Amino acid sequence: MSATTGVRPTKGYLMEMKRRIGFIERGTEFLKLKRDHLAKELTTSIDVLKGRRSKLLEDLRIAYRAVTAAYISLGPTEVKSQASSIKSRLELEVLPRSIMGVRYPYIKVEKEPQITGELDITLSEAAEKVLGILDDILQLAEFEARAERIADELGKTNRKVNALENTIIPSYRQVIKFIEDKLDEESLEELVRMKLIGGALARRRE
Amino acid sequence: MSPGLSYVVIRSHALMGDLLTPGQMRALTEQESLEGFIEYLARTPYGRISVEMEGDTSLALEKVFYQKFIERMMGIVDLAPANIGDFLHSYYYLRFEVINLKRIIRGKFSGIPVSQIMESLIPITPYRVESYEEIVEMGAFEEAVRRLEGTPYSSLVSTLELSERYDAIWPVEIALNHLSASAVFKSLERLPQGGRGLVRRIVQTEADVENFLVAAKQRGAGERAHGAEEMFPATYGIGLDKLREAMEVGDVGPVIQGLDRPYNEILAPLYEGDVALIRSRLRQHIYETVRRGRAANDFGFNVVMAYLVFSEIEKDDLVGIGWGMTQGIASEDIIKYLAIPNFA
Repeated sequence: MSATTGVRPTKGYLMEMKRRIGFIERGTEFLKLKRDHLAKELTTSIDVLKGRRSKLLEDLRIAYRAVTAAYISLGPTEVKSQASSIKSRLELEVLPRSIMGVRYPYIKVEKEPQITGELDITLSEAAEKVLGILDDILQLAEFEARAERIADELGKTNRKVNALENTIIPSYRQVIKFIEDKLDEESLEELVRMKLIGGALARRRE
Repeated sequence: MSPGLSYVVIRSHALMGDLLTPGQMRALTEQESLEGFIEYLARTPYGRISVEMEGDTSLALEKVFYQKFIERMMGIVDLAPANIGDFLHSYYYLRFEVINLKRIIRGKFSGIPVSQIMESLIPITPYRVESYEEIVEMGAFEEAVRRLEGTPYSSLVSTLELSERYDAIWPVEIALNHLSASAVFKSLERLPQGGRGLVRRIVQTEADVENFLVAAKQRGAGERAHGAEEMFPATYGIGLDKLREAMEVGDVGPVIQGLDRPYNEILAPLYEGDVALIRSRLRQHIYETVRRGRAANDFGFNVVMAYLVFSEIEKDDLVGIGWGMTQGIASEDIIKYLAIPNFA
């Protein structure tokens, strides 16, 4: 179906269309700004993520080695039993945050586990190593979720900008041109008609 | 040598052949999968073991190895003449009972369901308490400890005040350790002269290393260091002054370097950064001590002790290998924390 189907070629409609396209073009400009800002945010986030991730992976490897050693040294049942004696466990709250209208989770540590006293030294050292990188793990998880949401939003914004630039705005322009052409045509017809009437009236007067 | 002891010594000699060699232990560690591990084990005196592959396989394997060790241990301990039997009961039954009581107390402290606590217990018949279920079914942790009144563990009730003050169970655990250690030392006196030295060396080294680990864990806690006498009522090769020093200083390296052999070698991983190696070095040291003890006297109590100690270390190593296999850990990362394969 053509963009001009059902269009009323009136001056009022033309003005309405021009008002609308002006609004859409301003919106597109805003979306382009948002897209550029999100792309910049995403590039920065990816650079930070790369650095943090490789450092955290190394720290995790060290912590996992300590946990492995504790399991081999004490046996799985003893490790589970000792770990269960820790009363004060990790408590987290996940809150929403927003950047350029993109919501992402923010992790707030309400309570850190207290590992002193209850564990064997092997397990305690392993737990300390894990606890030492807990903040980094949470921050990285938060950062990854943020980057993921930004990437999603960037994709959506890009699709919107493309749709507006390549489909919506051209179709509006087409409608406007169609109405303008129609109106020009009508005014030309009107002019010709007026001239013919004027000519007829002049002939009658003679 | 009493006829009773002769029988146990001969039996230990015979059963020694059922133990896995360091080479076999190493081969087990080098298996590429859990299936390979079980397959290899089937070709040893363990035979084909059946393990539920659903759920936590490492826990199921641990149970199998504990069961096997308990069977071996009972096959010797329950037949031993009275004087040796007293010691072996304290050393094995009491030690396992103390582990079970600790697991019950931890479970009650953190409010774990009764079934899970029962599942975590070493499958051994109660030794100095009537039943583990009765204690596990108590409502709160304090009630579970009070349930021990009237048993040889009555003294634990007095630690409840400290536990409540710190909202922690370490006072009860430390009291249990002391109870177990003092019972073992008391029963040592009844052992034949020849074996007493070997056992004393093992038990004292274990107690000293555990004391030092507790002290090292408290390092930096200056005010608690003053209570060292209460924390360590029994010390042997590592004196109270050294333990106090370990609790006071930030860096235990110089304290460990100042200790005599074998303590400085066993505890070195504490400042080298791999604490888990301490227990494997301790097991290796005990393995070596018992091996030498057996070489010195292959016809007395030392053989009985060697069989039991080797069996227990084998069990600990197999539990470690089993866990490593279920987690897909590389063999070189497993081996360094084991005792027996390092003698291959």
